[in-house]
Amino acid sequence: MELDPHVLHVTIRWVHVAAMATAFGGAITVLALATRPAGDPASAVLSVAIRYEWMFWAAAGVLVMTGIGNLAAFGADLSGPSTPWGSTLMLKLGSVLALVILSLPRTLAVARMSQAAGSTASAVVWLRNLYGATTAAFAVILGLAVWLAHG
Amino acid sequence: MKLVTWSLATFHASTFVLTIVLLAYSRGGLGGTLSGLNTFVGLGLFVALWATTYFTTARALAGLDLIASLRDRDGYLRRTLRWGSRNGMAFLAVLGVVALFAAVANTRPEQVGPGILFPALFIAPIALVVSAAVGGAVGLIFGFIDLALFAIAGLTGMDAEATI
Repeated sequence: MELDPHVLHVTIRWVHVAAMATAFGGAITVLALATRPAGDPASAVLSVAIRYEWMFWAAAGVLVMTGIGNLAAFGADLSGPSTPWGSTLMLKLGSVLALVILSLPRTLAVARMSQAAGSTASAVVWLRNLYGATTAAFAVILGLAVWLAHG
Repeated sequence: MKLVTWSLATFHASTFVLTIVLLAYSRGGLGGTLSGLNTFVGLGLFVALWATTYFTTARALAGLDLIASLRDRDGYLRRTLRWGSRNGMAFLAVLGVVALFAAVANTRPEQVGPGILFPALFIAPIALVVSAAVGGAVGLIFGFIDLALFAIAGLTGMDAEATI
C-alpha cells in the first residue's frame, strides 16, 4: 500500500512544529521559573532545567531530521540560495547550527551546576541568562521560519 | 543513559548533518539530491546515524567523567579518533545494507550475483577503510570542538567528584 506523499509531508511538518513547540516552550518555562521574583528555590529551578536539557536534545534531533524532510518535500522545486527565500533559509539553517553548537555549553553548565554542592541564588541568575539567550535565539529562528512559510 | 552522553551524541549527529545540508544548499545541489531520496529512507538514515553516534559516543565516554575530571578530558581526544572511525564504519554498514536491498529489489534475480553481490564484495573492504578514515577525522574534529565547548562552559581546570 502506497502512502499519500501529501499526508506524509503534513505529518512530518506537524512533528517538526511539535518539536519546536517543545524546545521553545520548555526554554520559556525554565526562563519564567528563573525570573519569578522570590520564586522557587534554585534547586527546584535546576531540577526543571536538567529535565529540559534531556528534552531539548531529543527535540533538536527531531527538528533536524524533520527539517530536512520538509526541504525534501520541495524536491527539485527548492529555490536556490541566491533568491531572497534561499538567503533566508541559509540564515535560518545557520541560526539553528549556532543554537545547537552553543546549547552544548549550556547543557554542560547546567549539569555542572546540578552537581555542585548546594544551589545558590547566583545559579538562578546564570539560569536566567542562559535560558534568556536560548529563548531569544528560538524567537529569531521562529521568526525566520514564519517568514519562510508565509513570506 | 547520561545527560552528557545524550547531549554530545545528538550534538554530533545534528551538527554533522546540518553542516552538510548547509554546504550542499549553498552550492545549489540540495534540491536534486533530496528529490532523489525516498522520505522514509532519509528519515531512517538520520535515525541510524543518531543511533550509531549515540552508541559510539557512549563507548567513547565509558569510564570518563568529562564534567568532573580534567584528566578524563585530556584522554578524550584519543577516544574520539578511535570511536569516530568505528561510527563511520557502522554507518557505512547501515548505508551498505540499505543500498544492497534497494539494488537487489530492482535487479533481475539472475543478475543479483554477478551484478550486485560480487562487485559489493570488492567494494566493501575499500569502503570500510575510507569510512574509518573519514569517521576518525570527523570524530577528532568533534573532539576538538567538544573540548572548546567544554572550555566555554567553564570546565577547564576543575577536578571534582560525581557524575550525572
